[in-house]
Amino acid sequence: MATVGFLEDENLEAIITRIEHKSRKIESLLKQSKPVEALKTALEGSLLKTKDERCKSANWIVVHRAIMAIKDVDAMFSSLDPEYYDILMKYLYRGLATGDRPTCDQCLKIHEKLTEKAGLGCILRSLADTINTV
Amino acid sequence: MAAVAIHQFAQCITCHAWSPDQSMVAFCPNNHEVHIYKLFGEKWERVHVLQKHDQIVSGIDWSVRSNKIVTVSHDRNSYVWNQEASEWVPTLVILRLNRAALCVQWSPKENKFAVGSGAKTVCICYYEKENNWWVSKLIRKKHNSSVTSVAWHPNNILLATTSTDGKCRVFSTFIKGVDSRESGASSSSNLKFGEQIAQLDLSFTWAFGVRWSPSGNTLAYAGHNSMIYFIEDVGSSPSAQNVALRDLPLRDILFVSEKLVIGVGFDCNPMVFTADETGLWSFVKFLDEKKIAPSSSKYGSQFSEAFGKLYGQSKPAINSDTVESSRPRGGAHENCISCIVPLRKPGDTIVRRFSTSGLDGKVVIWELDNSI
Repeated sequence: MATVGFLEDENLEAIITRIEHKSRKIESLLKQSKPVEALKTALEGSLLKTKDERCKSANWIVVHRAIMAIKDVDAMFSSLDPEYYDILMKYLYRGLATGDRPTCDQCLKIHEKLTEKAGLGCILRSLADTINTV
Repeated sequence: MAAVAIHQFAQCITCHAWSPDQSMVAFCPNNHEVHIYKLFGEKWERVHVLQKHDQIVSGIDWSVRSNKIVTVSHDRNSYVWNQEASEWVPTLVILRLNRAALCVQWSPKENKFAVGSGAKTVCICYYEKENNWWVSKLIRKKHNSSVTSVAWHPNNILLATTSTDGKCRVFSTFIKGVDSRESGASSSSNLKFGEQIAQLDLSFTWAFGVRWSPSGNTLAYAGHNSMIYFIEDVGSSPSAQNVALRDLPLRDILFVSEKLVIGVGFDCNPMVFTADETGLWSFVKFLDEKKIAPSSSKYGSQFSEAFGKLYGQSKPAINSDTVESSRPRGGAHENCISCIVPLRKPGDTIVRRFSTSGLDGKVVIWELDNSI
């Protein structure tokens, strides 16, 4: 899936449509038991510069689906490229903020391994950046 | 290479500077004074106390050729100290600030100095011989927040600043009568005072510690999001490199040579960055070799106990033996390093020695050997 450029004047409807398209792709990947691919697809093209809450929520739902489908966290990290670490960390914090028990359990599990892999700098980048938020 | 000398001077040091012959060090022990210590054999003794400021001294710089100390403080004032006989005599510099002064640096020719402040302004001060006082000219525009650090380009005219609005800017500080219009200067068309040459919007977080490389070709600064940015050819066509750090952010950096940078910050351990032949910058290693505890914690940091508790909550059956208790780090510095200063031998093009000071009140001298 091609990475989307950050076009500020892009139609919000177009963004929502694209997220729906992503969602269908992720469902099919999960049926094929490819949770890591699904997570990568979900994280790709996350529009960090959009201020619109609907788009962020829509993308979060998709990412959340992929995160909850991960069963083997260690295997996931062996095939996840480091370029996804920062954005994954931001979504993990969004997950932890929901307060929902299964979500928090899963996010905490992944957070532990991600911190080991990426270091504290990854956490810093997700906390300090108030402009590119998920 | 490692720390060659560690001195505990105070409980906490905000900034420090060395005398031209490097026999004396001036620092602020987190109060409104500046203490000057001199090395007598093996012992450091306090020889002077400069008491003029009313609040914390946030910046000190000691000029090499003219042997003048400039201090700036949260009390919005700056003093230039001249050594007369055995006393240091202060001269007040009216900066015309309504907020704290945060950082100061002498220009390469030592005829000007720049002060960054919380008033979103930068003061460029120069000496007026006729009136025997220091005049301050303000760059009022452009900054949206506090100016955290300033750095002079080797040409004595360009000044780079970093701010808590996340941007790094380069200004011209040309002052008629003080600076001479050199023929062949590439930025001769932008020589108006206060003119912004470039604005770098790479970090979305507070920016600190901007420095130019010795030739003035490369600019580097640290972002509070654990990144360090390297920019080439700022004047013409800037090309930036973002290097993400694994650990905590940096507060100050130093160009040892064109291709070697040392960064210091919240990891309490200087980090080495080099550029390879293609000009690509990357992190090499930490300078301080720390003792590794035999039962090394998984996270290897002071947060191991906190992380253990955090992750332990989701697994109620976890054995509490696996939680590592927090212990002293075992390195030269025990707290954040906030300031790094080169110790140049006259005639040296690259820096072999430098010193760091931090919130733990220590000044540590480091020496680089040829393995870097």
